[in-house]
Amino acid sequence: MPTLPDLVARLSFLAAIPAVAGILITANILVVSREWRLNIFALIVQYFFVVMLMTRLIRLEVAAIKGLIGWMICMVFYLTERRGADLARAVRTSVEVQPEAGSARSWQRWTMTARTAFYLLAGLLVSVAAYMAALRFPLPREVIPPDISLACYLMVGLGLLVIGLSETPMQVGMGLLTFLAGFDLFYVAVEPSLVVVGLIGAVSFLIALAASFLRAAQFVSSEQTEGAE
Amino acid sequence: MIAGPIALLLLPLLVAGVVLLLSRWRTPTAVLSTATALALGVAALALPVDRPVKVWGGLQIVLGAPVSFLGRELVLEETDRLACAALFFTSAIIFFLAWRSYSRSLLFPVGWGLLSLSVGVLLVKPFVYAALFIEIAVALSVFALQSEEGPVTRGGMRYLTFSTMALPGILVTHWLLERYEATPDETWLLSTSAVLLAISFALLLGVFPFHSWIPALFGDSSPVAGAFVLTVFGNVIWFALLEFLEAYSWLSAHPSLSSLTLNAGLVLVLLGGTLAPAQRRLSPLVGYGTLVENGAMLIALGLRSEVGMVSLLLAMLTRPLGLGLMALGLDGIRAHSGGKDDGEGLRGVGWRAPWSTTAFVLGGLSVAGLPLGAGFAWRWSLYRALADTDPGTMVLLLLAAAGVMGGLWRGMASLLERPRLPEARSVFPPATREGKLFALSVLIALLLCVVVSIYPQLLSPWVTRMVDACALFR
Repeated sequence: MPTLPDLVARLSFLAAIPAVAGILITANILVVSREWRLNIFALIVQYFFVVMLMTRLIRLEVAAIKGLIGWMICMVFYLTERRGADLARAVRTSVEVQPEAGSARSWQRWTMTARTAFYLLAGLLVSVAAYMAALRFPLPREVIPPDISLACYLMVGLGLLVIGLSETPMQVGMGLLTFLAGFDLFYVAVEPSLVVVGLIGAVSFLIALAASFLRAAQFVSSEQTEGAE
Repeated sequence: MIAGPIALLLLPLLVAGVVLLLSRWRTPTAVLSTATALALGVAALALPVDRPVKVWGGLQIVLGAPVSFLGRELVLEETDRLACAALFFTSAIIFFLAWRSYSRSLLFPVGWGLLSLSVGVLLVKPFVYAALFIEIAVALSVFALQSEEGPVTRGGMRYLTFSTMALPGILVTHWLLERYEATPDETWLLSTSAVLLAISFALLLGVFPFHSWIPALFGDSSPVAGAFVLTVFGNVIWFALLEFLEAYSWLSAHPSLSSLTLNAGLVLVLLGGTLAPAQRRLSPLVGYGTLVENGAMLIALGLRSEVGMVSLLLAMLTRPLGLGLMALGLDGIRAHSGGKDDGEGLRGVGWRAPWSTTAFVLGGLSVAGLPLGAGFAWRWSLYRALADTDPGTMVLLLLAAAGVMGGLWRGMASLLERPRLPEARSVFPPATREGKLFALSVLIALLLCVVVSIYPQLLSPWVTRMVDACALFR
């Protein structure tokens, strides 16, 4: 059975421009999409690419721990949304739903609304701005290679965009985590201390817990409102 | 033998566990929290730093003994122990006010967790770890801000967002300063650090244009928890800023520091003073009043004098009384108006909730810095200092105080309005529904407020010790 270093060695071709491209796509999905399953999947893939890039800067074990923290965060988000969806379904079954409204909603899911188009455009603009920033103000080359520098700028920029465009706690939490992952990708190279790694991991995990807590409160609040109606 | 830093870090965590178990019973939780916070404050203030003291049985404690924790040094210096005492006393005030508050949240256990992290922020060296502790504490505070029965706290989420954005700046500053020590010729590292640090602390303190989380914090969060975050944990940010300025003398001696803080403070004062009277709801009024307070504190720092430092430290000690009272009042008013705090919902609530209304108005007096409020103690010394050096700023501060009073007056007019129809007037019961214990807690806090306002010299030995221990601006 292949060990972790073997697996990483086999996938090492991803730890350069393909990983940056993966981060660009996943972060833009977070900007555009409001479908929680897709967003959580994008975050999982994003953490994978971040870990691949980190293996070039720090020890594999430390990068793997960072990846584990990220995937645990995704698990927390998944469980919260799953539970919330069950609650919402239970409330919906107790209230009569018009069939036309249901089919209209399923249609809307697959059409590009004006809002989605705007978010996509904003995401692309920020991506271009991040590319220009990486060219004009590259992070110190002696510690960060140019492609990782671009990945950092992309995640910080798109993370801030997600925060700015989002209303729900979970979406804002994902934006914050993308922003923090972008910064972390840079900071692990300049401060490889294990305590700092642990504390930044704790910060990320607590942000995820806070976002999930608020999302759960939102579910309870909307359930009470619908129940009262 | 126990080292003081470890005791100050672990005891709050222990109390957090106990109050979490007792959280179903509000009175024992509040009594335990208030009494323990007072006891820890007295211990931090009175115990000697350099020699062991027997505390319980044969157990000895050395308050100033340095400790290595996860390879990092925890040191309790004179300034830190006074700051710790200030944290415990101010948190005791908020815990006491939270005793009879209507909204339910995880304030008591999370508050103790925040206190433990706050002590960590003050004691850990280097500051890079303090920045991470601050961020952990902010994420934790969201759990206290969300009330059990209320809507989702957008203010709490915004607070978390702005604080997370502040984290990279502080961490990178630490790295840049380390690089500067190795290559002192590269002076751009210092200027970049100064800019990053200014932005990071502006985000953490809610300086314009990063202020939007402060009014939002009272809009949909538990108000008393909001007061805890803004006063007790806000003081931690202030102490961290002072420690940073003291540690890096090039930064405190920077020629732009004074004008930067004065102008940032002035903008906050103008913003808060202008928007406070325009508010239809009471909750943003508390937020804009806080902005005026924050602005005045920045102006006090910008004076770069001992008088400014005295005003700033006095503000840190007294603002939990004013803001806490206002938050308690807001909480009570909301509870008696079906969760509303705007013009129509407030009509006549003052007659049903007279103690909440009293707490809100007199707490507002303190936030505005007017006589009979605890805030008057430090505003007066600031006005006197500004009268000599910068009378224009003093006049603007007074106008901003008038703006906050205008907002209070508007709110009070709605609160004390009688229903228009004579038959509807009978719906008001002659007696209050707030309860004697609520009235007692408001009365005690009001009494403290008035005593601090009339006799600020009661706090002056403590403040003098803090100013003497801090080498800043001397």
